[in-house]
Amino acid sequence: MSSPFHSASFEDLTLPLLPSLYNHAFWLCRNHADAEDLVQEAISKALRAFDSFQAGTNFKAWIFRILRNTFLTSRTGIAASRTVFLEDHPDLPGATDESPNPEDHLIRLDNQAALNRALDDLQPQLREVLLLCDVEELKYKDIALVLDVPIGTVMSRISRARRTLHQQLKVQLGESL
Amino acid sequence: MTQTTQANGHLGPDQLSAFIDGELSSNETYEVQQHLTDCHECALRVLSATQLKAATARAAQQFAVPPEALARLTAQLRPQEPKKTGRIYSFRSVTWAAVAAGLLLAVSLLGWRQNRQATALSAELLDQHLAVLSGGASPEVISTDRHTVKPWFQGKLPFSFNLPDVLPADTTLKGGDLAYLNGQPAALLLFTIHKHEVSVFLTQRSGSPIVAVLPGTQSGFTIHHAMTNDLRIFAVSDVNPADLDLLVSALVEAQTSR
Repeated sequence: MSSPFHSASFEDLTLPLLPSLYNHAFWLCRNHADAEDLVQEAISKALRAFDSFQAGTNFKAWIFRILRNTFLTSRTGIAASRTVFLEDHPDLPGATDESPNPEDHLIRLDNQAALNRALDDLQPQLREVLLLCDVEELKYKDIALVLDVPIGTVMSRISRARRTLHQQLKVQLGESL
Repeated sequence: MTQTTQANGHLGPDQLSAFIDGELSSNETYEVQQHLTDCHECALRVLSATQLKAATARAAQQFAVPPEALARLTAQLRPQEPKKTGRIYSFRSVTWAAVAAGLLLAVSLLGWRQNRQATALSAELLDQHLAVLSGGASPEVISTDRHTVKPWFQGKLPFSFNLPDVLPADTTLKGGDLAYLNGQPAALLLFTIHKHEVSVFLTQRSGSPIVAVLPGTQSGFTIHHAMTNDLRIFAVSDVNPADLDLLVSALVEAQTSR
């Protein structure tokens, strides 16, 4: 199925990504045992499908897509997918930033606990896109590949995720700007 | 690529995000930079968003792989001996591989002493159970609802069966699939008992008259066998035998109470 050269390449490509895959899996599953199982299963599937990976394209995006799809077909993922997501309406209240005072935009980000809480409270679909962008530093086109959505949707979700996070932090920190 | 500015002349939220992510074209980037030199408010928003992006990256990288999990995952990536099946086992594959190796050895040793057909059937049951554990084959029907799972088999199998109204404590139906066991079509039902995976195979009793004795427990896996008027029921799991018995009994009971 895989040539020795292919296997070696797969190992070389995947090994440095294990911490990232695990971190992302934990955000999806929210516990260590399931996160490890998810990464293992995703690796197995990726190895089996490695022949279909096109050299020169983004391997990280490719394997994150497999991780995500594996999660979505898991029991936890199926349960999570029952949550209806209000898809990307630019006209939703809060979509436009109407802060009266420019300094309102600055919030204190030295409060790690508050940020963790805000990330926790974020809708999974918004958190996911933000993690892929800010933590995994994937480009929008690669995130679009991982999530299987148009690039415009990626852009609006990221923007919406940040606005939501910003608003939550402001509420949590009691407007202590 | 993005809306340039809002009606009030400031950067739109999507545009601002794309700017700090380096996703704008060079022309668009230039336009934004020009705007920022003149607009204090947007400059502050860009600063704030950049800080939030950096803080998010720091905060979200909080789940480190436990060392033992990293070791298992790394081991999974190492080139392995070619396997006859070509299948890569997941679910902490090292552990499973060790268990499976011990199991196959035990099963093959048993072959010296026991009925060859029964042993072959045990091996087949274990192999199919391991295939389920490997995650290589997701069940065709994924549901915890017996009213979804049972009808799915109708027309696909030459026999029918009942599912218990009430399952034993902490036992959950996960789904079902078609399988072939000993050359016969079988219903494969997947359960979990205390998070242990259980494979249950139902076949027609009127098939080949084999299976005299099956090994009870081998290397941590239990195989239980029961018969009703019409069906043979096999259950394979690493859960404790008493709990597996409860499930098998519930299944037997469901067939007789129709």
